[in-house]
Amino acid sequence: MLIGMDVGGTNTDVAIVGDEIVSVKVPNDRGIPAALDRITSQGRLGVSSSQPLNRILTGDPVRVVTILFPGPGLAWPGLLKGSINHRGDAVERIDPDEVRGFILENPGDAVAIASKFSVRNPVLEEEATDLAKEHYPDERIARSAPLALLDFPARVTTTRLNARLKETVCKLTAEIGKGRPDFFFFKGDGGLASPQVVRENPSLLFNSSAAAVALGAFFLSREKECVVVDIGGTTTDLVPLHNGSPRMRTLISDGERTLAETVETLSIPFGGDSELSGGLQPHRMGNALAFGGPRPTLTDALNVEGAEIGDPSRSVRVGKSEAEDAVDRYLDQVSYAVKETGMDRIVGAGFLAPILIPRIARRAGMRFTVHTDSGCANAVGVAVSRVSLTLHARFDSGRKRAVLNGEVQGLKCMGDDDSLIGFCREEVRRRALAAGAYPEDVRKIDLVSFQAYDVVRGGFRAERIADVVVRIPPGITMEAL
Amino acid sequence: MTAGLVFHPDYLLHEQSPGHPERRERLSYTIDQFREEGVFSHRSIRLITPQPASRESVMRVHFSEYLSFLEGSSKTGGFIDFDTSIPIHLWEAALLAAGGAIRAADAVLDGEVENAFAMVRPPGHHARPGTGAGFCYINNMAVMVRHLQDRGVMKILILDWDAHHGDGTQQIFYEEDSVLFTSIHQYPFYPGTGSVDEIGLRRGTGYTANMPVPAGTGDESYLYLFDTVIGPLAREFEPDLIAISAGQDNHFTDPLTGLALTARGYSEMMRRAVDLSRDICEGHLVAVLEGGYSVEGGLPYTNLGILAALAGLDLSCIREPSGFLEWLRKVRDPSAHRGVVENANALRTNLSPFWRCFGSS
Repeated sequence: MLIGMDVGGTNTDVAIVGDEIVSVKVPNDRGIPAALDRITSQGRLGVSSSQPLNRILTGDPVRVVTILFPGPGLAWPGLLKGSINHRGDAVERIDPDEVRGFILENPGDAVAIASKFSVRNPVLEEEATDLAKEHYPDERIARSAPLALLDFPARVTTTRLNARLKETVCKLTAEIGKGRPDFFFFKGDGGLASPQVVRENPSLLFNSSAAAVALGAFFLSREKECVVVDIGGTTTDLVPLHNGSPRMRTLISDGERTLAETVETLSIPFGGDSELSGGLQPHRMGNALAFGGPRPTLTDALNVEGAEIGDPSRSVRVGKSEAEDAVDRYLDQVSYAVKETGMDRIVGAGFLAPILIPRIARRAGMRFTVHTDSGCANAVGVAVSRVSLTLHARFDSGRKRAVLNGEVQGLKCMGDDDSLIGFCREEVRRRALAAGAYPEDVRKIDLVSFQAYDVVRGGFRAERIADVVVRIPPGITMEAL
Repeated sequence: MTAGLVFHPDYLLHEQSPGHPERRERLSYTIDQFREEGVFSHRSIRLITPQPASRESVMRVHFSEYLSFLEGSSKTGGFIDFDTSIPIHLWEAALLAAGGAIRAADAVLDGEVENAFAMVRPPGHHARPGTGAGFCYINNMAVMVRHLQDRGVMKILILDWDAHHGDGTQQIFYEEDSVLFTSIHQYPFYPGTGSVDEIGLRRGTGYTANMPVPAGTGDESYLYLFDTVIGPLAREFEPDLIAISAGQDNHFTDPLTGLALTARGYSEMMRRAVDLSRDICEGHLVAVLEGGYSVEGGLPYTNLGILAALAGLDLSCIREPSGFLEWLRKVRDPSAHRGVVENANALRTNLSPFWRCFGSS
């Protein structure tokens, strides 16, 4: 069995995918354990948790103390002594007293630590982490080296984001892990990752619900070229799919680039719970009247037009012309937006999809698909996903050092280019299998990039440096096909 | 202010031989530094992709016979001198480098960016009309200047601060008064030219200004020459554009030279050049990469300092790591400044008949 759980804004959706699909919806106010209790089947569990993380980011500000070791280069505020050069050599060590003083003078809730070129040698960040641990628990300290990519500004922003999220991710991991210790997190790129990987880079989880819907809608419909229209309670989200995959874009946090990629989504601020008050309003005040809520919503308007959602008798407070106007406005907004995507087919997702998608498609002049399990497409997407993993490796024969995703290892023998690539493929496969990947899913490893350079001394090639990136891409697990 | 950065991944392809110092790592390590600094998504820097120069463009500088030799040898491999062989595909690489300089100039002239850095290779300033030399095949700077002239730019000041004298560029413009060629270089050193007595010929007399400096020369001397020779000449010449042959081999970590300029010194010199260009030619400034071989030392962050100065960024952290300071102390010769001043005085004397700033009436 493949089990997927998507913790949304209001409810947690669970889908159990086997010969058939079984789904349940649990209100979030009962807590994640209540949702886990509803899973009676054994099988691999994936959890999409972007909504709780979004709440952290939009909630009370977390004061993040940022400890930077930029070294020579572009200027950064609050820089401290210490420098790693492009080769990965520590050409200037940190001053522990300076770092201690900085930490004491700048109290905060969490700490982000970043040095330039730490992805080639994390030693300065490690030393600063040890000093930060004198004042902060590990759950509130994030380092940039595990992000593994060159781009110091984006790495700093991502590390700050991770510092804000790390403790919540640790708590979520403990909470889910009590009942399901071998679960996976579902990432914003549509793949699964172990809690250990996510702990070092919680930004991987950002906006995972959109990826879940995209993957689930594709799995259910098998439509490779379409726009997925996910009708939620608060918003209606549009995700175009090309060749079965959504487009990805860089996540912006606090106006700055991060290294996180999220699914490109157009969000329309109307959903089933959008309030009716002098017309359809772009906000949610609670459930629809039909579900015992306090105010009339778009869902109640649909009931007035003849739908039978929840308890339709409670929706009669809404006048017929008001209901028609509200539904008309909603259909106008969404049909215009889907036409703008340039696609010619809609795949519906969400609880109201069977009712609204045919009308949206008719108004937009497009074909549509609404699967019988479209209401839990998000959780289905999580369930059928597979472990994805990227390995950034740097080999330096002169320094006898290999750095794999920001972690240093000794390097006895460099080998030729083919053997380096082979080593990386085998290493990412080993890591994925150790995390619990389905063996069929790790047969094909993509080589993303390979670059190698010689270090010349006295006119001769004395040393060699190679950068290799390999990847198990996200997608649908062979187990589900 | 937006600075243009002209770069093409194919600039990493050219290689004379596996052990040659003019090697792709010169740029690949700099690209690593730029990537790490977020240069490619910086709001003050625009990445510009070049096209190869046309044969007609390079024929404005080089003899047709030489170009045919280069093109033909590029198919089989060839030889110019012991420093400069012709690897297969050199022709395409050299045209793309020259095209990078042209693209940088166009971007500035068209107002796409305020100024630009063409980070190209192979370099060009030793190439003369009829031959290549010193790792150079096509004189990128000269091709760019001819292109600028064809576009109606009347007067151009060239500042060549590569550690080696830009003999090829000097020769090409030696008899012209619309191009003022100035050069700071280690002397005596390869290629052996560049004395204060070489001041131009015929109509070009007085339009070549060589500032030879001894080994061990550091920041103080370079800034002195900029302020007391280049600046005054530029203000009197009133060029329409300043073109810099930016060789980064004066850095104290460079393995081929003996100078002691720091990354901060480089960036400060470029900052002054930018200020000067704003004062006299609407900020029109193009820098074209020449030498610079300290791939494991200061080259990456020196190139960064050049770009940062062009983009008007804060230069306060363009500095040397503390682990390199002892190296700098060993290379730098405080007494070199005296020789610099003596040479500058001799140059002023030689040029004084032609320039009011140096005492002509």
